Amino acid sequence: MAVTENDVLEEIRDQLESIKVPGAREATPENTWSELDVDSLDLVELVKALEDRFGVTISDDDLKPIESVGAAIELTMRLVAAKEGTPA
Amino acid sequence: MTPRAPAHPGEHCDIAITGRGVVTSIAEGADAFFDALLERRSGIVEDLGEVSGRAGAPCSGFDPALAMTPKEARRSDRYTQFAMAAAAQATAEAGLPGDVDVERLAVLMGTGVGGLMTLETECVKFHDAGRDVRAVSPLFVPMMMPNAAAGMIAISLGAHGPGFSVSSACATGTHAIGEAKRMIERGEADVVVAGGTEAGMTPLCMAAFERMGALSRDGISRPFDARRDGFVMGEGAGCLVLERGDLARERGAKIFGYVVGYGASNDAFHMTQPDETGRGATKAMKAALADAGADPGEVGYINAHGTSTPFNDKIETRAIHNVFNGGSPPVSSTKSAIGHLLGAAGAVEAVAVLCALQRGILPPTLNFGEPDPDCDLDYVPDGPREAPGLKLAMSNSFGFGGQNACLAFRKAS
Repeated sequence: MAVTENDVLEEIRDQLESIKVPGAREATPENTWSELDVDSLDLVELVKALEDRFGVTISDDDLKPIESVGAAIELTMRLVAAKEGTPA
Repeated sequence: MTPRAPAHPGEHCDIAITGRGVVTSIAEGADAFFDALLERRSGIVEDLGEVSGRAGAPCSGFDPALAMTPKEARRSDRYTQFAMAAAAQATAEAGLPGDVDVERLAVLMGTGVGGLMTLETECVKFHDAGRDVRAVSPLFVPMMMPNAAAGMIAISLGAHGPGFSVSSACATGTHAIGEAKRMIERGEADVVVAGGTEAGMTPLCMAAFERMGALSRDGISRPFDARRDGFVMGEGAGCLVLERGDLARERGAKIFGYVVGYGASNDAFHMTQPDETGRGATKAMKAALADAGADPGEVGYINAHGTSTPFNDKIETRAIHNVFNGGSPPVSSTKSAIGHLLGAAGAVEAVAVLCALQRGILPPTLNFGEPDPDCDLDYVPDGPREAPGLKLAMSNSFGFGGQNACLAFRKAS
């Protein structure tokens, strides 16, 4: 079944919840990491969760410009599409 | 001749204790802890189950949420959680940071083994994953490193004075408090949050101490008793707020006592066995008395290192004889109730000494029944003892590596 943006958002919310970010379940694509008090160490855990769940590899370079939940969803969707050989 | 002017603001100051914090198996909070000691409560369980087949004194009901957010707690090893809880109690009692100058507020929180559970867990994950780097948590280093507790406390207080960890195995907590005293005397800080913390009750650590033959087979902590056969592992933290006396009085802080003497030494003999003559321990005690400007005859109580190992208790007794020359005051071991807290032991025991001075009552040594001719002092075996005239008391700690430290405390007038 095709991965949807909502699947990625839910995975991000799950991970934010597991790292005890307050309000994790209410996180929206508009939220920035700084608003959520998510730092670089949290991001490493978040990236691993996304990689494991969606079978993609997110490089440090990919991650650098990602400053919000929405940007992380977009990046994941792009990598999933590339993996599956379909245009994003 | 005119007296030399002080080189540092703290040089000729008395150093007050304005806050105390304790996390142990029998109680949290200084007063509750001392009450539990007087009630002869023991935190020791016979079998630690999945952790170890040996006895231990775990802090089973400990809740890190009392001093940390859930996110901070998740990012901290248990040893840091203990330290944060003890520091929160001590700093609340002292009213920190309040109007204390945070540029001159320091943190010295020691540990003997640091974040050992984190190390064990991550090591297993790494090897189980065929040494896959991705299996290792990005939180591993900040959780495992021995200065994490000191760092977290500084963050929570906004303390910008010096901060680091002190490590001398089982003498850590005592060294930390002593070095905090020195830090104030050198003028590097006005207030220091100092102590020791330990969460060494992990499967690997228990196995390691068992292999050394250091743990009691009977599972009983009975310091100075002829049947003693090793220590029982404990866990927890102790913390004090040390403060320049003049500043503490100026801001109207409650003073729980004064730290007046600190002495330290090396056995330079063996990594795990004390020097048979008690030379190192003797030197540390004498140095603490000299630092306090006190005679042995003024000391009314000694909180012993008293681990319940055959060697320590015999040689500590010998060292006390060396210093007191037949005139030793009563001696008791808190480890009989809460086990051996390794790097936290000295800090927790310092709190016991301060409470003893404040209340004029000595905590007992539990489980003492069969005298040993090599341990011939008064170990307060029958229960708490009234000591209304108690004004000066000492606390001993001796660490693996042959590192010794002793503190002297004076009652608040």
